[in-house]
Amino acid sequence: MFETRSLRARLILQLVVTVAVLPFLVPIYAMVSRSFAGAGWGNYAAVLSVPGFARFFLNSAIVAGGSIVIIYIATMMAAFGFSKLRVQRKEIFFWMMMAALTLPEVVLIAPLYSTAVSLGLLGTFWSVILPIAALQIPFTVLITRGYVDGIPDTLFEAARLDGASSWRIFWSILVPLARPMAVALIVLVLINAWNSYLLPKVFLTGEDMGVVTLLPEFFRRQYNDDTPKILAAAVVTAIPTIVAYIALQKQFERGMAAGAIK
Amino acid sequence: MTATVTAPTIPAAPSPLDGRGPRAKKASRLIPNGFVWILPGLIISVGLIYYSIVYSGYLSFFDWGGGRQRMTPVGVDNYVEAFTNPVFWTAVTNTVVYFVAVFVVQVGGGMLFAAAMHSRIFFANVYKVIIVIPVVVAPATLAPAHLQVWQNDGTLNQILHTVGLGALAQTWLGQSTTSLLVVTLVGCWGSVGFGFILYFAGMAQIDPEMLEAARIDGAGNLRLLFSIVLPNLRPITISLAILNFITALKLFDNVWLITQGGPAHSSEFLGTMIYAETAGSSRNLGYAAALSIILLVIAVTVSIIIQSRSRERAAKEVADV
Repeated sequence: MFETRSLRARLILQLVVTVAVLPFLVPIYAMVSRSFAGAGWGNYAAVLSVPGFARFFLNSAIVAGGSIVIIYIATMMAAFGFSKLRVQRKEIFFWMMMAALTLPEVVLIAPLYSTAVSLGLLGTFWSVILPIAALQIPFTVLITRGYVDGIPDTLFEAARLDGASSWRIFWSILVPLARPMAVALIVLVLINAWNSYLLPKVFLTGEDMGVVTLLPEFFRRQYNDDTPKILAAAVVTAIPTIVAYIALQKQFERGMAAGAIK
Repeated sequence: MTATVTAPTIPAAPSPLDGRGPRAKKASRLIPNGFVWILPGLIISVGLIYYSIVYSGYLSFFDWGGGRQRMTPVGVDNYVEAFTNPVFWTAVTNTVVYFVAVFVVQVGGGMLFAAAMHSRIFFANVYKVIIVIPVVVAPATLAPAHLQVWQNDGTLNQILHTVGLGALAQTWLGQSTTSLLVVTLVGCWGSVGFGFILYFAGMAQIDPEMLEAARIDGAGNLRLLFSIVLPNLRPITISLAILNFITALKLFDNVWLITQGGPAHSSEFLGTMIYAETAGSSRNLGYAAALSIILLVIAVTVSIIIQSRSRERAAKEVADV
């Protein structure tokens, strides 16, 4: 994009960018180096052998998986309905959904907390999965509807004339054609659900229901502020996400870029 | 990653003419009713969210400790309490400061990195991963790292002593003058990568012929940046403004895990206040609900203002041409 013709200009640019990257390394360096203080790798061995450690990852996987399944099904169906089917007062329903596009989850916790208590849902995964789904669906529907609008109507009409039912059209045309978009959205929902902290903290009150974002607090209780072990736990928790990002860079970035248009 | 955002990724605004052409009219009897198809999404999102907002509005007129405790109707007292509470105004001021600082750093840093990585530099991919890690890894997971940096015997003070600036070392987390600074810097740290991703994708979509033409006309790098690149990126900047504002309004994770809103409420945000009133030991769900409604009104109002301003400006530019 920008031409750096002379060697000097190139060196200056390289230097500026390198210096600008340094502050980003400080916390990572602090975390990794201090996590080896004292017992070295022993800190990691201690963290990994804490009973119930794997349970946190399993619980996060349940929350993320449940959110993805619900959001995927509801989004694909809604995009099909909004884009290719006849719905009375369609735009009113669509607008109602879009009004919740930038809603911060924190405004939901007081009413949902008292509702969850009275329905006995407090401490179940539903109390986290449903709000996550509710908050993501407006945005995933907006993106997917736009994408499905781009698929020619004639394709659907032809299938209908050949006698295909709506259900058949949904599975055989819409779902396969929307796959590239769906992959990016699933990755985005995965990050958001995996990284969610406030909802699990309020609603997953059970002893064995912690998710990965609650691990630092778990280890702080476990180790009474033994900082190296807490940091070792943070490194172990961060690694799967970093590996996933490096492996799926394009999908991550596409998902996040799509996420910005709300 | 060229052209991260492929054209169909960004949906066109739903056309008002959808399904109204003459052909569509003839075919419309063939098209089955789709209401059941949109129903699951409507029930989960619209149902749950609108229910919560209405219930919040109702709760905000009561004092209630939750569970089996008695709900005492108090009228608008919760709102009066909020507006007369100095901590509330600290939270509002902090939100504005945080928003402005993080937005400026995110736009500046994001553009710098995006422009640099479009200009063939060494280690571009390594740099990219380093600045995006704080975006993809949960703030809650990285909070212990920030504590380690900002502690009294932490990494930052060590660095300051090593380079001979020991006089600048502070108890960053323990004093009310610096706690907001720490939270804001951590916010900047976690959001530059997001700005980078968007600007990088946006720059890839700028027509190379336009840049070529400008260059032939003798435009230098800076001229190119201000006359072509920046105007083309304005929609991204506006999205970032809205997203950042919402993020600042609901900020919770980093604040709670790094300063807990303290010391003496100096780094309090609306998110931490609502959390403390919902799940804290001396909870008042009615007060939490009133704060939620206030937050919601601010969020909606500001989003509408930013969006309509940007539309006005776009309309004016079209008129100027």
